[in-house]
Amino acid sequence: MTKNSCDVLLDYFNDQLTCEERKEFEAHLQICKDCQDELKELQELTADLPYSSEPIEPSAGMRERVLSNVLQAENSDMAMEGTEAEKNKTSNERVTEIIPGKKVNKWYKPLVAAVLVLSLIGNGAAIIYINQDEDVADSGSETIRDTIQRMEELQPSEGVSAQATAMMIEQNKNTNLVVQASDLPPLEGEETYQVWVVEDGKPYRAGTFVPNNNGLGAVSYVINYEGNHKWDTIAITKEPTANSKTPQGNILLSSPL
Amino acid sequence: MREHDLDLYRRIEAQDENALELLYDRYEKLLFSFAFRMTNNKFLSEEVVQEVFTKLWTKKGMYDESKGKFSSWLLTITRNTSIDLLRKKKETPYELEERDALLDERPSTEEVVEWKESSERICTAVKELTSEQQEIIELFYFKGMSQSKIATTCNIPLGTVKGRVRLALKHLREKLSNVQERGVRE
Ligand SMILES: [Zn+2]
Repeated sequence: MTKNSCDVLLDYFNDQLTCEERKEFEAHLQICKDCQDELKELQELTADLPYSSEPIEPSAGMRERVLSNVLQAENSDMAMEGTEAEKNKTSNERVTEIIPGKKVNKWYKPLVAAVLVLSLIGNGAAIIYINQDEDVADSGSETIRDTIQRMEELQPSEGVSAQATAMMIEQNKNTNLVVQASDLPPLEGEETYQVWVVEDGKPYRAGTFVPNNNGLGAVSYVINYEGNHKWDTIAITKEPTANSKTPQGNILLSSPL
Repeated sequence: MREHDLDLYRRIEAQDENALELLYDRYEKLLFSFAFRMTNNKFLSEEVVQEVFTKLWTKKGMYDESKGKFSSWLLTITRNTSIDLLRKKKETPYELEERDALLDERPSTEEVVEWKESSERICTAVKELTSEQQEIIELFYFKGMSQSKIATTCNIPLGTVKGRVRLALKHLREKLSNVQERGVRE
């Protein structure tokens, strides 16, 4: 160990330790009265701070999206004890991945999710802030840059009457993708709709969803594939299950990017 | 009558969807606002709230009374999840201006009013701190920075960070009790 154990208390509190360091500190904490007291004090002194946050309205449609995703979360998470397994999961999987084995055709509150996402797109497009100033990133400040957003209308394939809109917020490596679709044909059994982003003919999963009884469906997905990608197409297909690695069904809707 | 958080939590552990919904409605706005305070990003904040409730739903035995008040514990989980997601997204940050959302304040329930009052109270107390102390609380608590990052950002020796954080928080506590007393007298 390079550092005195007591010195990493703040980093422990802020969850800034590696797994190994954390275990080491937790062992130390068992036997160090000073650290126990300081940790308790830190918790007490900061207990009010969350309430200093200015109350803001949750995003439109958030309740429906969150609750449906939570309820679809695979309970095998229970088997994943400990925080390491949890940390290794990429966050975008949690947002939208529908895990096989659990019934997927179940929106929590089917009624308004998709419509509300559309209104999010409407507001979102108006309020996104573009800052391409490269000079702001000095001095270790958490300054933010590189925001580009685009919106695409997806075109239905022949004989398909569905409609869909995709909004992308691109960063240097990641893309937030929000897809909203309507007039979707109903699904059967384990079927799902799958969003794909395509690069040179190779499709990557970009969100799974099931429409409600009115044929409305929506998903928000953080595209987070390693390496550099130039997506050339976005497409929606109907898949036999939620875990297709490549598209099995025909393309219902698509758009070049 | 308002059901206790702990009772709701027990029902959630037993996979009661109705209880999940009730607890969600009770805490959505607070957790979302706090996550937004931490991340300054609505997409991430929604992701934070979703992760917090996913944990509640899928992992049994996360909370028991030895961990203190349920609401404080839930806020701690929210903070840790925010720090974790911020770290994952750090390489590709972006910013959304959320003016509309900030203007749209509808304190619909008694709780939100109370929270707004305490928010004003805490903000008043924070403003009475020196700007160095305000900054160190911001970097430590709301940005969740490591000690070494705080040292570089503030240009102070690493060994002094812990002491400064504690001092700033203790001063805030004193200011807060002063603000409270003034409030009582007024
Ligand atoms: Zn110690």
